[in-house]
Amino acid sequence: MEVSRRTLLTGAAAAALASSLKIHVVSAQEKVIRFSMPMDFTKIYTFVTAEYSQGQRDYISLINGRGGINGYKIAPDISDHGNDLPRAIEAFERAKSEGAVLIDPLSTPVARALVPRALTDQINMVTAFSGRSDAADGTVFPYVFPLSPNYWTQAALLVDYFRQKDGDLKGKKICFVHIDTPFGKEPLPILEKLSQMLGYELQTFPYTPPGNDQSAIWPQVRRARPDWVVFWGAGVGQTVALTEAIRNGLPMDRLSSSVWLSQSDMDVVGADQAKGVLKFDPCVSGRSPKVIQDILEEVVKPGKGAGPEDKVGTNYYNYGVMIASIIIEGVRKAFEIAPDGPITGPWLNAGLVSIKDFTADGFIPPTTITKEDHQGGGRGRISRWDGQNFVPETDWFSAYQDVVWEEIRKYSEEFAKTGK
Amino acid sequence: MLYRRAGIRHTRYQDERQLWPLPFDRYLVTAIAVILVAAPFVVSPLYLSSYLLPWIIWSTAALGLNFLMGTAGQIHLGYGAVMAIGAYTSVHLVLSGIPFEIAMVAGGLMSSVIGIAFGAAALRVKGLYLAMATLAMQYIVDFVIMHFPAISGGSLASIAVPRVSFLGIPVVGDIRTYFVALFVCVIVTLFMLNVKRSSFGRALAAVREKDYAAEVIGVSTFKYKLLAFWTSSFIGGVVGAVLAVCYLRSVSPDQFHLELSIQLVAMVIVGGLGSVLGSFFGAALILFAPIILNNAIGTFATNFGIDISSDLRAHVPLMLYGALIIGFLIWEPLGLAKIYNNFRNYLLVWPFRHAQR
Repeated sequence: MEVSRRTLLTGAAAAALASSLKIHVVSAQEKVIRFSMPMDFTKIYTFVTAEYSQGQRDYISLINGRGGINGYKIAPDISDHGNDLPRAIEAFERAKSEGAVLIDPLSTPVARALVPRALTDQINMVTAFSGRSDAADGTVFPYVFPLSPNYWTQAALLVDYFRQKDGDLKGKKICFVHIDTPFGKEPLPILEKLSQMLGYELQTFPYTPPGNDQSAIWPQVRRARPDWVVFWGAGVGQTVALTEAIRNGLPMDRLSSSVWLSQSDMDVVGADQAKGVLKFDPCVSGRSPKVIQDILEEVVKPGKGAGPEDKVGTNYYNYGVMIASIIIEGVRKAFEIAPDGPITGPWLNAGLVSIKDFTADGFIPPTTITKEDHQGGGRGRISRWDGQNFVPETDWFSAYQDVVWEEIRKYSEEFAKTGK
Repeated sequence: MLYRRAGIRHTRYQDERQLWPLPFDRYLVTAIAVILVAAPFVVSPLYLSSYLLPWIIWSTAALGLNFLMGTAGQIHLGYGAVMAIGAYTSVHLVLSGIPFEIAMVAGGLMSSVIGIAFGAAALRVKGLYLAMATLAMQYIVDFVIMHFPAISGGSLASIAVPRVSFLGIPVVGDIRTYFVALFVCVIVTLFMLNVKRSSFGRALAAVREKDYAAEVIGVSTFKYKLLAFWTSSFIGGVVGAVLAVCYLRSVSPDQFHLELSIQLVAMVIVGGLGSVLGSFFGAALILFAPIILNNAIGTFATNFGIDISSDLRAHVPLMLYGALIIGFLIWEPLGLAKIYNNFRNYLLVWPFRHAQR
């Protein structure tokens, strides 16, 4: 077919018109609770979004399949914001106009940009493993919910694990290899503070984003002869870091990362070479927990799964299930407080801040969210890669929360005062 | 048809020189102006705050870049950085208690001072080499913002913009922010429409077509190239301030990365180099095509029960978006403004096509 200007223009006009039709994810039923989940499926966070979102959707399907909560179905609106602010803001405003009570953008830049909007429009924003670390302070950020140990807590827990292993960190050397962005530099204040407290020596090695070439950094790390190495990045930077660490012969069992390390990364690096590497785990990984078994039984088996079956039980999938389960628990609590609604942002907010010792049948550490603490207690565990799986090295534990909270309050006070 | 030229007789030079000599063009502009002013009271807040407002702001930015690329013929791949300088300068000034009107202009001045320093490269190099020099500006500015906590706002690198007022009106809510953005947009648009008719615009056109030929006929390329960078960067800085205050409401370094610069260059090229109207068309296409395609695919997938995987569902809009841009550039390389122009030219002499010049 010859494509003329006219057909091109007509086609474009028709497409523009067609798209102005409203989207109805759940047909106009009366009893729905709307969540908006615009995430970055296509640009930077692609390494995590697909699995995380799959976990969230499968858990929501599980709950909906059991009849919802109090007769209400959960309606998640999944869309792609491509880590692009105009698109994310459009998604936020759309969520607002559709009456969504919660938004989960899963992107640090987007979460940071949406904070003022979430606070004024009273829509609960989930910033799990992303966004501002100081958002854990619920008194300053009443509508922002990290719901997970923030990066400061993760760094503190890693250091405490090193202390447990070595007995004493005095005179030891910890090398911190990180991506040279605000995200990569975030743990620095905590690591420096703990270094003064515990007497270890901290050396930092920044690499330029996106981190697909770190060959200049790692020989320096090796030369520093560290006792422990922490590498801090996300996406491609992580596998490159691990590959370089292996190439430089650093001991794997003294190398650790934050939450951003998964089975999929190990396939890239080589599952055997990376044996022994450590990571921070906010929830149980693998398929053994009851929640994951339920999902396999009631959602995946009947063919209602949101994605490929072999992703079920991977690290990031489980993070998605973890966050969805905490949110749903918040919905449950909200119905306990106000069974007749109305379903609004403040209604869900009241539910979220009264979650107490929630474990999702042993899937996550006991999580308590209060008006003051939106982090959920800051518990997690350290896991070690055994060649096939991440196996827990420790039990759920928490450490140096006083130091972390000092830092959280310092920044949240600054935000309350000047908006920084 | 519509654009009637019959019976228009200019008896004064002013009439001949006016912006829109045809009555229909004037009606059209008036109608659009009325629509834009009435829009906040008619359209829903969703469309106001997440379609109209960004469109107005990005169009203004595209105008600023189009001034440099279309009118003066200099390429700039670091316009996002120019806007960042304006945004950060004005936000910091507002935080220290200076009124927004002054902070906005100061942001523009700061941008133009830094912009002109990098623009000075244009005195020596052209084309691809200038593209590299401006690209360097993008990276240097990104780096400086990110590595100076005093600028970026501490280890969390994000600054919430405080409430401000503009000319005595507090900038809160969707409607007022929209009017502030529209106000700036109208001023920049009027400047762009008129600059081509001034001696400044003609000098820039001479420099654009051939710089040493311009020098031969007595146009100082040194002066006008720098002036072009100065003016364009000033507009960029002011738009950056408007973007931060009216739309983003919280600034962080990643909002002004290379993506923004590329987006703006795409707007200018897809819209039409040197065209005022094109900047608006280009901004609309580049900003909204991804959103609209995404929603369209979503509607399609859910309403017609087509079972496509979430990966594909996320990537199909991107493919279509790419195809759309390539399509427009193949079938209308002179940009979207040219499509409107063809349409107008067709109607201008309709039904006497043979009379077309």
